[in-house]
Formats: sequence, structure tokens, C-alpha cells
Amino acid sequence: MDSKTKLESIVTKLGAFDIEASMNQSNPEIKVKNDQLIEIAQTLREDQSYELLLDVIAVDYLTFGNADWKTNTATNTGYSRAVQPTIIPEIDATFEDRFAVFYQLLSVSTNQRLTVKVFASESNPPTVPSVIGIWSSADWFEREAFDLMGIHFEGHPDLRRILTDYGFIGHPFRKDFPTNGNLEVVYDEEKGEVVYQPVSISTRPSVPRVIRDQDD
Amino acid sequence: MTESNLKLNFGPQHPAAHGVLRLIMEMDGEVITNLDPHIGLLHRGTEKLAEIKPYNHSIGYMDRMDYVSMMCCEHSYVLAIESLLKIEPPKRAQYIRVMFDEITRIMNHLLWLGCHGLDIGAMALFLYCFREREDLYDAYEAVSGARMHATYYRPGGVYRDLPEEMPQYKANKFISEKKVKKLNYNREGTLLDFIEDFTDRFPSLVDEYETLLTDNRIWKQRTVDIGVVTPERAMQLGFTGPMLRGSGIEWDLRRNQSYEVYDELDFLIPIGVNGDCYDRYLVRIEEMRQSNLIIQQCIKWLRDNKGPVMIEDHKYRAPERESMKHDMESLIYHFKHFTEGYSVPEGNTYKAIEHPKGEFGVFLLSDGANKPYRLKVRAPSFAHLAAIDEMSKGHMLADVVSIIGTLDIVFGEIDR
Amino acid sequence: MGLDTDNDLIDQQGAGFIVTSVDKLVNWARTGSMWPVTFGLACCAIEMMHAGAARYDTDRFGVIFRPSPRQSDVMIVAGTLVNKMAPAIRKVYDQMAEPKWVISMGSCANGGGYYHHSYSVVRGCDQIIPVDIYVPGCPPTSEALINGIIELQQKIKNEESIANG
Repeated sequence: MDSKTKLESIVTKLGAFDIEASMNQSNPEIKVKNDQLIEIAQTLREDQSYELLLDVIAVDYLTFGNADWKTNTATNTGYSRAVQPTIIPEIDATFEDRFAVFYQLLSVSTNQRLTVKVFASESNPPTVPSVIGIWSSADWFEREAFDLMGIHFEGHPDLRRILTDYGFIGHPFRKDFPTNGNLEVVYDEEKGEVVYQPVSISTRPSVPRVIRDQDD
Repeated sequence: MTESNLKLNFGPQHPAAHGVLRLIMEMDGEVITNLDPHIGLLHRGTEKLAEIKPYNHSIGYMDRMDYVSMMCCEHSYVLAIESLLKIEPPKRAQYIRVMFDEITRIMNHLLWLGCHGLDIGAMALFLYCFREREDLYDAYEAVSGARMHATYYRPGGVYRDLPEEMPQYKANKFISEKKVKKLNYNREGTLLDFIEDFTDRFPSLVDEYETLLTDNRIWKQRTVDIGVVTPERAMQLGFTGPMLRGSGIEWDLRRNQSYEVYDELDFLIPIGVNGDCYDRYLVRIEEMRQSNLIIQQCIKWLRDNKGPVMIEDHKYRAPERESMKHDMESLIYHFKHFTEGYSVPEGNTYKAIEHPKGEFGVFLLSDGANKPYRLKVRAPSFAHLAAIDEMSKGHMLADVVSIIGTLDIVFGEIDR
Repeated sequence: MGLDTDNDLIDQQGAGFIVTSVDKLVNWARTGSMWPVTFGLACCAIEMMHAGAARYDTDRFGVIFRPSPRQSDVMIVAGTLVNKMAPAIRKVYDQMAEPKWVISMGSCANGGGYYHHSYSVVRGCDQIIPVDIYVPGCPPTSEALINGIIELQQKIKNEESIANG
């Protein structure tokens, strides 16, 4: 069964739910609602035999489509490299649908892949129901998404930091977190231990972020 | 009198830890009751750094993720970019990529075998495996200039064609001409001759390793029935690659979801039976032999078919240096390629390949810019290490070392 | 500290010959068997393993890798040092007995390297521990690491071990 037919059969099977389906670069993808995620995931695993949860990917859409240098024609003002420091975007309180989570599923028995996209709730912290009861591999993937993006997974038994430092404050992969971070470590001779101090470097972009249509 | 469990710290600096792994073990005597791995001791923020660099600048980051099998990691990143750009590399480039993928698979399994053996106690194996790896490092160096991190694959093909000469040993006051001639016996021809000589010698070398281990009583006692994973549980835990095949599930991306030219090549996929450490060992040894066969088929094709190794489109490929100096268009393409880079159309994709450790996937989300908006790497060792608690409950402390070895983990890709 | 004036006196009287001869002997012993503690963090650790393997053999220099810091006198920091790992590396360094030296291997350990701009990377292990020799490269080839070890041997040979106590 090829991917397009499979996608259509999934759409008919999940007709009771509110989903949007599309073929994305020949990969089937469905977008589901936050509160219906658990039931849909249950159906996908038991009925459609997607046995493997390969990955849980968290995305922050805050600066989607932003460019450092907007230009399509020749210009004499140019872009002076490494002069402007990196601009940390401010959080727009009216921004809707900022955090999304993508689930990569694989069916070994029918040789099919599926991507499930769900937007996190608008609350603070953004929440998504945890699928750990359906696929055990979600354990560490959801811990990582929480650590790096700050998305809270309801129902996860042990949601704590996994990759960042002990006692780290902030969620590094959010777009309003600076690449250089806020703290760095150094050894203090007097105290005889490793201490934290404010970060001393600042990165300036040498290649501007440019959005171009490649067919020009 | 109250009895309590012993909480032991298997610290980040430990010879058997395969890098920086910190395990907090709760033990009842010698038996493990609970295991909590602390990772993140090599978390370098690669994915965040990739968001501030153009696409080609991040190929080097992929090398450094799984630093024992470098080109396979580059491969999935490059495939993801190519799928968003909707370009395809020429056939010769695909064969070169497959050949180097299999060379990388052998490199990875050799290091896995050497370190697994070293941890369990078979120390001589380490030196044998690294002797073979040195030859493969020479192949990497001949084609890209660097022994380890090659950054050889590019979206659109590979950086340049295979060289016609191999670097050779030179005579000096310590080594006579006669000795040098003996050392250079396989470096007289092209790189393909060198690799072909390696593939001729390799099966007998794998026989050597098997003689040491496969029927060895001590090896069997330390690996049979250790870390048994049932097929259903393996799929629940997100295992892929030899971990999944060791439990009996027939799943290999090179066969089931073929990419590049794997559908034209003839090879077998070994499958285990019991799902213990011994079966996974046998699966990986046989994979080394099958990779050898694949490399031989690729060498034959590459010898018979010359051609381009990079697509012609100058948006993605830097023009020739000579033409840049006299042709205006080439100069513009050169300037744009090296200062700004190409812009990738809006969209997202997930591309995975059969990495020696499992399924290495790259998720790329682009908003049309010359830098990625979100790059996420799906590392196979991440899911495998998450299962260590379940696999080692009820086993003894020494078995934890066997289990860490059989998981084939590397912290560059777990912590990214 | 009172030893310094005594030494000046000895040098003036020409008995400095004995001290330098003993120095030479001690330094020969120290450089002839430098035992590093295995502190491989990332990719440079693989090149370090290759340096210890069959082709580039470090054993012929007397260099044997020891797992315990208490039994070693040099630490080769091979790989990226991350904020989370910094207290651990300081602990391991403090556990080593004098005399001890540090070789910083690779650009990540030298100054942050390829990951310099990251939020979680220590920009050079010399922020945490004092370094004697820096070996550049990404990763430095095994030959470069052996060159670094030989340079450390030269540095030790030029130290006045007895005079410094």
C-alpha cells in the first residue's frame, strides 16, 4: 500500500476526530487537536499498527519567517557583517500557536511512516498530553522536549531535566533564549570550587539570515 | 536493624563508561534494583548552533555527533536538505556515498567490538580492531584530507571525486627502502585499489576475531542471557538497527525503505533469535562481513563508470576556480555560495538512514531562509540508553558493563 | 621559601652541579614514564585511543593509560568540556598527586572550538584547570598528540625539579 492510500485510509478511520491530513514531501502528515491526541495515538498504535515512536520534536514558531536583511535588489546600504549584535526577539503576548510537537511514527509490519503534529495549549507552561502510556520510548523524548523547550507533558511520571546542567534556569531552544546563554563556569581559586558568572562573550552574526525564493 | 539499598555513583569519569555517562545505581548487594542514567555531560547545544549557521556550515556538526561513524551522520543531514531542495545527486556520487557508508559501518563495528571486548576483559581484541581502523582512516584521509571528521558529503553529491593516488610511506634513516616497498604494497594504485585490498584481507581478519570470541566459554558466560529484550518490548522502547534485529524483527532501512542505490546491491540482513547480548554480537559480526560484500560491489561499479560527483546546478555547487576568475556569472555564484549560501524552500522533512547503531534521523524545518529554522537529530543511542534501566534490573554490577557495551552508545549523539 | 636564598649560595659556590645532575635524573625518570588518566570526553578521545593502539604506539614512550587519577601524573583533556562536567573535571584534577601536568587536546579543550558560541560549553578547559601544553586540531591526528606528549617531555626536562621542591 503506498503512502497516499494509507493516509486516506487513516483519515477515514479517524473520521470521528478533527484532523487535517497532507502529503508533505511524500511523507504523510496529520495535524491533530491537543485534547484528542491520546485517543488518536491509541487508535494509531492498536488499529493501524504504528508500533514504534521514533522521535518527539518540539518547535518554537516565534520567529518563523523573520530575516535579518530584507533585500531583493542591488543595494548600496548592504549588510555590515558582525557589527550588530544578535537581536533576541521579544515574546509577543498575542502570539498564537507558538509551540508545536511533531511525533514521528513507524509501522514495521506495514512499512509506513507517519508524522503527527499537535500544537501545545496556550497556557503557561504550554502543555501536551503525554503518550508514555502508549509508547514507552516517549519517556526520554518528552523529558528532552520539556528540558529544551519548556513544554509540559501531562501524565509523564518523571518530568525532569535531562540534558542541561543541574539547576539550569531557562529553556535553551526557545527563540528568546540567547545562543551564548546567560551563565558560564569558571574555577574560583579563593573558594576552591567551580562557580557561575555572567557570560562574557557576545556573538555577532557574520552571515545574515536571508529569505529568498530560489527560483529567482 | 534496618536494611537499605546501596546507592552507587558510576561516575562520569570511568573507563567502562564509553564516554561521559553517570549512572546512579541502587543495588541490593550485587544485584541492581534501579538504574538512573544522568546524561547531558556532553550537551553542546549543536541544534541551537545550527540555527545561526548556513546549511553547509553545519555538516561538520553532524560528523561530531556520532564520532565513531562520521559519514553516516552527514549522510542523513544531506539527504534531508536534498529532499527539501528537491535535487538528486548523480549516480556516481550515490555509489561513492554507499561505499563510504559501508566503510563507516565497518569502522563503527570494529570500535564497538574493540571497546566491548576491552570492557569485558578481552584486551588483545582492542589492538586488532584498531589496526583495521587505521587502514579505513587512511581511506577517509585520502578522499577528504581528515582522518576522522571528513565533511565529505554535500547536498547535491560529494565534495570531489576519488583520488588517483594514495599517500605513501617514505624511506628515512630508520626504515630502509626495502621495508618501505613492503609497506607500500597496497598504496601503489588508486584509492579503489587500496580499499579493494582491504576487502580481500578483511574476511580472514573477522575470522580471527570470531576465533577469539564466538565459541569462547568466558565470552558466552558474560553475554548469553544478559540484557534479554523481547521483540514487542524492543518496539515499545523505540529500538532500531542491530538492537531490533538482535531480538528477531526483520527491519533494515536499506532493504525496507531503500535510499541511494541500496536496491541495486546484493546483501543479506542478519537477524538474531534470543535478543541477548550474544545474539547482538553475532548480528554485528555478520553485518561486518555483509558490508565487505557491498563495498566490493561498489568498487566494481565505480571502476566501470566514470562521471560527475556533484550536480551541475551552481546554486548549490561552487563553480570551478578557473572559471570564477574570468566568467562574471561564475563569480557571482561563487560569491553568493560562500557568503550567503543557498536558501531552502519552506517546509519540513524527516529523513532517516540505516546508521550502524540504528536509525539516525534528521528533522529539518525551514521557513525559506539560508539557515535552518529547526534542526533536530534523532539519535539511535538516545532511545537505546533510555532502556538500560529495564534491561539491567535483576542483573549484577558486572553485567551492567556488558549491557552498556551491547547498546553501542556514543555520547556525542546522545547529548548532542 | 627560605630555600631560595640557600640555593643562591649553593650556585655561587659551584655546588649547583650536583643539584642539576640530580634534576636531570629526576626529570628523566618523570618523562620516561608519564601515565595519563583516561579523560576522553568526545571525538578527541577516539584519536587518543588510536594514539595508544598499534600504529602510533604510546607505550614505547612509557605512556600507559591508567583509569584512576590517583595513579597518574598527566591528564589529557580530550574533547569538549561542558558546564555540567566542569565540577567533575576539577575533582579529578584535584585527586591527582603532585607533580601533575595537563595536556589540552583539540580545539574544544583549547578554547571552546567549534562550539565556542554555545550556552553550555566551557570556552577552554583552562578556565577550570591549569594547562601546560595545548595541542591544536579538530581532532588533532594521533601524530599531533604524540608531538604534544614529546613537547611536554621537553618542558618537564627544563624544569628545576629539586630546586622547586
